[in-house]
Amino acid sequence: MSAGEARFVFDPELAGFQLAPEHPFKPVRYEMARTLLLAAGALDEAEVVPPRPITDDDLLTVHDPRYVALVKAASSPSARPSDAELQRHGLATADNPVFPRMHHLVKGVVAATVTAVDLVATGAARRAANLAGGLHHAMRDRASGFCVYNDLAVAIRRAVDRHGLRVAYVDVDAHHGDGVQWLFYDEPRVLTVSLHESGRYLFPGTGFTYETGNGRARGSSVNVPLEPFTGDDSFLECFEAVVPRALRRFAPDLIVVQAGADMHHRDPLADLSLTLRGMRRAYERLVELADEVTGGRLVLTGGGGYDAYRTVPRAWALAWAALAGRELPDEVPASWREEWGRRLGVDLPATFADDEPEPTPRAPAIASRNRSVAERLLKQLEEIWSEAPAA
Amino acid sequence: MLVSEVMTRQVVAIGPDTPIRDVQALMEQRNVRHFPILEGRAEPDKPDGLVGIVSDRDVRLVGADHPRAPKGVKATDPVSLLMVRDVITAHPDDPIEETAKTMRLKKIGAMPVMEDGRLVGIVTATDLLDALVRMSGVHQAASRLEVEVANRPGALAELLNLIADRRINVVSVMTTRGDDETISFVLRVATADARGLARHLKEAGINVTWPPDKRG
Repeated sequence: MSAGEARFVFDPELAGFQLAPEHPFKPVRYEMARTLLLAAGALDEAEVVPPRPITDDDLLTVHDPRYVALVKAASSPSARPSDAELQRHGLATADNPVFPRMHHLVKGVVAATVTAVDLVATGAARRAANLAGGLHHAMRDRASGFCVYNDLAVAIRRAVDRHGLRVAYVDVDAHHGDGVQWLFYDEPRVLTVSLHESGRYLFPGTGFTYETGNGRARGSSVNVPLEPFTGDDSFLECFEAVVPRALRRFAPDLIVVQAGADMHHRDPLADLSLTLRGMRRAYERLVELADEVTGGRLVLTGGGGYDAYRTVPRAWALAWAALAGRELPDEVPASWREEWGRRLGVDLPATFADDEPEPTPRAPAIASRNRSVAERLLKQLEEIWSEAPAA
Repeated sequence: MLVSEVMTRQVVAIGPDTPIRDVQALMEQRNVRHFPILEGRAEPDKPDGLVGIVSDRDVRLVGADHPRAPKGVKATDPVSLLMVRDVITAHPDDPIEETAKTMRLKKIGAMPVMEDGRLVGIVTATDLLDALVRMSGVHQAASRLEVEVANRPGALAELLNLIADRRINVVSVMTTRGDDETISFVLRVATADARGLARHLKEAGINVTWPPDKRG
């Protein structure tokens, strides 16, 4: 792909804050990924664009006005609402503490994803990424799982309503993409597909195969719940069994990918146990599928990823390289390792190759169970789809 | 949780003279598997005459060419020929665990709910399963946490206080097993970082059985 076809939306402010000291969600990952790509020669300054600001009204296409007003009030040092009021909406909790300039910063994350969608929807870019985005757990009037506003849902809503597009959302984060799913559960013009560690084991506890969409949107919500310790091969097998078929059948104009990096085996919150090899293959397949079904139109966001320093920057560098058609060297640039290693006081990996997780003797049983889940899911979906032919 | 919170209030009741084939058709149309049978018309200030109950298993095979079809009963016969006359009923204020126990003991799938002699609802095994899902708190985004605490006053309170100190909401609490020494609880906690919480609880001396430590 020639230069100028992919855009990297970046706002340094969105990497320069913390939700709380020691909080597992670390926005600095975003800046680490950008500088890694620059150092590796896989990103040009000319490809980097700032987000266009949005208004509070843009948030209201998805969020409740009283909720937005509450987040704004909580963000100002004076007149902070009571903890009881905030906690009714998931704020002032361990996962979603109130932090300085919360409204402004999270609205900035939304603006960056909206910008990425606008660039691709208008043809100004073929593909675009906002690695600060991917806040897939935020609900209409509730913060959840480190997410205050749902940038993905605001951007998808805009792609549907303003640009008149059919949108397929594919979520490969280790956690179920519940916020996006429920916000479009009745919307036949949006397909949501989520592959994740089963809700039987992992937050948020949803994303079962029977969650298939409501009314006219029945069949437009697809969930592939996977076993802990799934690993690369079984993950890719289930991906191939479900995602291409769902995308081809739905025939979207745009694909939005939530590329949370917490399916990696070193992630402290989840246990899907993939390596960078498997994750890279998933990113590449999503780009190939976009070429096939949307003429290449693809927007990619970040998301989860709690081995924040060692794993996430490399994973997202691979995602961008796939999206922009760039090559990464085998070695992680020494200048980048030394600079960030010193700043963070950690030893960063030297290569894009990965240490393999300890093999589990249960691997064949896990793969067999995953296969059976994917097969039964597809059978169930084909029945629903045959009742309601694609629009 | 009480029967009145989980029961179906719109009960489809039939009379004892209703032909069996009409009952079969009604089951199909209404997607209902149990019909209470009332004698006479319902009148204000008079008790409903509950005389029986019939289930899909009782009527399904009537008129069919099947070895287990009831002998000597035709689809045109009144349902009173097949109905169970000794009806086991529930009261709206019964706790649902009592209702569940009764259903298992008597091997039945539904109980008419009677209050002051009136039929006010029906409670089925499906209603109880729905209640179980609601009690387990899976309708709210949360993580699963399993702990074993000492079987003594205050042990659970100490655990809940430790969780509250972390500003984490508890969405549901269920007990799965208990003996003289310890009780196991399954909690649903509104955090994506259940391992972080588990670490904190273990440091405070709580025996956490889920989530397990990260491997490797």
